Amino acid sequence: MVQFLAQTFVNGINVGALYGLAAVGLSLIFGVMRILNVAHGEFLMVGGYIGFWLFKLYGVDPFVGLPLVGIFLFLIGIVFYKVVFSRVAKFHEEVKLKNSLLIAFGLYLIFPQIAMVLWTADERAISPAYSGQAFDLLGVRFGYVPLAGVCIAIIVILAMYLFLTKTYFGKSLRGTAESWKAAKLSGIHIEWTFMITFGLGISLAGIAGVLIALTQELTPFMGMPWTLKALIVVVLAGMGSIVGAFVAGLILGIVEAVSAIFMGPYTIAIGLLIFLIILVLRPQGLFGRA
Amino acid sequence: MLEVNHIDTYYGELKALWDVSLTLDKGEIVALIGANGSGKSTLLEAIAGLLPPTTGEILFEGVRLDKEPSHRIVEFGVCLVPEDRGIFPGMNVSENLELGAFSKRGRKEKEETLHVVYGLFPILKNRRNQLTRTLSGGEQQMLAIGKGLLSRPKLLMLDEPSLGLAPLVTKNIFEAICQINQTGVSILLVEQNVHIALRVAKRAYIIENGRIVQHEQAKNLLRDRRVIQAYLGTHYA
Repeated sequence: MVQFLAQTFVNGINVGALYGLAAVGLSLIFGVMRILNVAHGEFLMVGGYIGFWLFKLYGVDPFVGLPLVGIFLFLIGIVFYKVVFSRVAKFHEEVKLKNSLLIAFGLYLIFPQIAMVLWTADERAISPAYSGQAFDLLGVRFGYVPLAGVCIAIIVILAMYLFLTKTYFGKSLRGTAESWKAAKLSGIHIEWTFMITFGLGISLAGIAGVLIALTQELTPFMGMPWTLKALIVVVLAGMGSIVGAFVAGLILGIVEAVSAIFMGPYTIAIGLLIFLIILVLRPQGLFGRA
Repeated sequence: MLEVNHIDTYYGELKALWDVSLTLDKGEIVALIGANGSGKSTLLEAIAGLLPPTTGEILFEGVRLDKEPSHRIVEFGVCLVPEDRGIFPGMNVSENLELGAFSKRGRKEKEETLHVVYGLFPILKNRRNQLTRTLSGGEQQMLAIGKGLLSRPKLLMLDEPSLGLAPLVTKNIFEAICQINQTGVSILLVEQNVHIALRVAKRAYIIENGRIVQHEQAKNLLRDRRVIQAYLGTHYA
């Protein structure tokens, strides 16, 4: 029983790290730009499929392909910012939020259709030769691939944290998140900050996508479920807390894994229930400030 | 040095400034006086590029500012400390000052300016690792001015620096403003505390309903019966 619970915990952490990674990008974009990108999961899906293509067509190892996908999705993010989101970014907060929601929902309708054409509706996964291998520790199974996923998620999130707190440019991102007006008056080029932020957020989604493709499956319709997971995690953590988003991701992963023992297929309701409880009792999130 | 020529400004459909003109020479302190909603802050925001005018022009040392984005205006040496202070409440004092020097102009001389600012407001040095939202109102205002100075402005625009502060703190802030001015920084000052504003300023403009209605030497305004009644209260008469 103890072993079974420990295994459930480990499985929960494996999934939760990915929730955290997916949420950090969403949180970053919302925090700095006040744009709720409900197409976040769509970009995550694209990242996963690009990793799949690199592996399937060119034999690139997914862990080598990971930085390539990160860079590629960064560029995609910049293109999407320039072509669509920059047009609403200059509006006032409320107008911006509403219009960006409409745009992102539009992308959510378009992306799966394009994915159907490019990758068909079949379930895809990145499965290198070593994907099933695992080691045993005190009777608990640790898969190498999920463990690498957790490590990469931690490294990426730590790197984000250091970037935001230690570098000049990272600080200007945080400043913009606190007050775009004060940022402008400090000589910060807001347009540029927005563009880089969007690129970074999308890049994080892409990296999460590849890690998901390694442990779960890719489908053209996976985008919205992942957006919802990321949204639940962001609400749980509170806006603007990078490390908090990761911890909240782990919490959601573990809670889901444990509740699966009792509730089976209804675990998906658990996440939404947590979402509601947090919104009612602590709307600023577990790690946020009122 | 600064020339505002016949500008009109709108908030959407609403006209906020009507044919406003103003000049400021190098090294001057000029005050802008008016009631709430008369357009003082709007004028400063127009100069800083937050709300560009629809007609007219703004010249700074011969350069047209009204076509430039706000981050470029900072590079020209024009800095606004807005009424809400323009600081980052969730960041600590030294991070705020650092971001004040974000412009290329400020970054070049960051260390020296930081030294000057800590000399001017020693309390900021003691509080440098403290979150800005935990500072008192006076300390926040000092930080706002210090952060503005880190952009190495030639023209510093201050919007209501005494807002919500105790008289003694206000006095300290204005002593600092005079010291800053003595180092050669020109100052455009918006202030509700008309009495103190007219003491430090050389000239003043009076703005009513978005129009400049009077322009006079500050010392003359202090004796002007109409100004005394409207802005200083009758007991000064």
